[in-house]
Amino acid sequence: MSGGARLPDFVRRGLPAALLLVVAASMVATLSPTEIVRRGSLLLRSLAGETISAAETTGFWFDPSYAVFLEEVRRRTRKDATIAIVVPPFPSAYVYQAAYQLTPRRVVEPGRETEATFVAAYRYQYRNVPNTDVIELPHGALFRR
Amino acid sequence: MSFLSAVSVVLAGAVVTATVGYALARFFTGDLSPAERLAWSIATGFLVQSILFVIVVSILPGRARLPLVVIDIAIVAASFLARRGLLTPSLRLRGEGKVEGRPFVIALLVIAGAASLLFLVTALSEPMWAPDYLAMWGLKGKTIFETGFIPRRLFQDRALYWGRPDYPLLVPLSLATLASLSGGWNDQALALFFALCELATILGVWGFLARRISPLTGAAAAALVSVCFPLYRAVNAGHAEIPLALALVLVSCAFLDALGGSRSAVTRLLFASLLSAWIKPEGTLFVLLLAGVLWVRQRTRLVDTWKNGGWALVVPPVLHASLMFLLCRPIPQRDFDPTFLEPRRWAELLTRFGIVIARVLGSDVLPAWVPVLAIGLFFLFTRRGFADPLLAVFALQILAYLAAFSISSFDPIWKVEASFQRIVATLFPAFALVLGARVGGEESGQSVGTPVRPPGQRAGSQIG
Repeated sequence: MSGGARLPDFVRRGLPAALLLVVAASMVATLSPTEIVRRGSLLLRSLAGETISAAETTGFWFDPSYAVFLEEVRRRTRKDATIAIVVPPFPSAYVYQAAYQLTPRRVVEPGRETEATFVAAYRYQYRNVPNTDVIELPHGALFRR
Repeated sequence: MSFLSAVSVVLAGAVVTATVGYALARFFTGDLSPAERLAWSIATGFLVQSILFVIVVSILPGRARLPLVVIDIAIVAASFLARRGLLTPSLRLRGEGKVEGRPFVIALLVIAGAASLLFLVTALSEPMWAPDYLAMWGLKGKTIFETGFIPRRLFQDRALYWGRPDYPLLVPLSLATLASLSGGWNDQALALFFALCELATILGVWGFLARRISPLTGAAAAALVSVCFPLYRAVNAGHAEIPLALALVLVSCAFLDALGGSRSAVTRLLFASLLSAWIKPEGTLFVLLLAGVLWVRQRTRLVDTWKNGGWALVVPPVLHASLMFLLCRPIPQRDFDPTFLEPRRWAELLTRFGIVIARVLGSDVLPAWVPVLAIGLFFLFTRRGFADPLLAVFALQILAYLAAFSISSFDPIWKVEASFQRIVATLFPAFALVLGARVGGEESGQSVGTPVRPPGQRAGSQIG
């Protein structure tokens, strides 16, 4: 650990700086210029007042149409509602996004329907059944319990 | 509200927060450099605002904004009335007045500024979306903001088992406070919180090393921290690791100052210890390991350890853990399976530990062999620095991560891949203090506020 004591001064001072430069360069190398440009463009558009669609952002990378469905569920339910969501089991982001986007509504997973005032079923094939407790939504349906 | 308006009001809320932080931090940061004071102001501000927010929403649910602003004004006014005319005299810092390497200092600070601007741009480019943000930090913050109080279900709702009800609440509370001050929850504009934490971290590292070693060393370390892109990248906006990195830097700086005999450092240690413990369990582990290092340095004398700052390290995490235990009991066991620690499963545990080590070496260390080798050589070619006592903490912290992965309820390989790089990168800003202190080598170690020694005189012995 004290090997630096026997080295010439320029090596003792210059070598550590050069090694730190290598560390810094290695971290800089993890950047993606394309991604930076894309994000810069998104920020400029946001600052200009443009609404960025879910398809262009990363939050709904797994399924952009899910954002539309959740927005409709949010719009049609009260803040104190408990909603059971029926979504694909993978990825977990389906559940996380539902809980986050629908806050402060309480979101529960299948198996806890008895606690819910609504069941929101994503990708449910609604067949135009005349039932006032079923609301047709884009990409799914909302059932009042 | 347009995005530009939302960013502006969140920024205004952050300025109010930092002002409140300054009003309190000035009582225990008078002997620090201006950059450090700003870092401490930001951190103290978020800590104090969160405490005030909890108190206000407990009394007046859903109406936090006005009472919070009134209390903030009262704190700032009281602070300046209390200390008017008693400003700490400006201290002579190491390197002050010297112009050696000044162009390099400026260039390095420009790099640090540009890198932090890059993180700001990428973090604000879209609504925060990281899984941990959606499942924990953002969900809890938004729930608190939308309901106007801290609902019991955040701790007790079995349906939220994946949201880690036992995890600390400082990040959600800081987001909820900023949203309350700015009048709305905008999950794109609130990313500013994480960019501010990065800025405070860089300022803290720069100010500390500029004070203890030289402005050039401080600027170099600040630039190094700012380009820690494995941590400061868009996906991590929303993760608690970014504020945790700030807390770890501050608690490390306060710890090193306390070892150097600074009395005000113990107060800073208390604040930073609370900050660390209230952000993430890894912060609790870090401060307890620091307490362990202090205990060893005090030759295992408990009373001396306690008197020399041990209490400031131990009390906040213990109190916080006790409170969370009371609120969340029984603590849900989801991520970890403690039965691996039972003797009947030791063989299995050993196998899993081997799998974890192999995976870390294969997927994290080997691909990063160039910087890992560079750091190894750096230690070979530099002298001991006054921050070297932190090395044991970093080593034990990483060992604890490996052990935690080994008792994961899930596939340990998946856990390593999901989080090892991120949680290790969180340690890097504090680790940069060690690197910087070793660059200072034999000249390092001067405690705060003491006169600058003549060139060539050793100062490291003061810290030991």
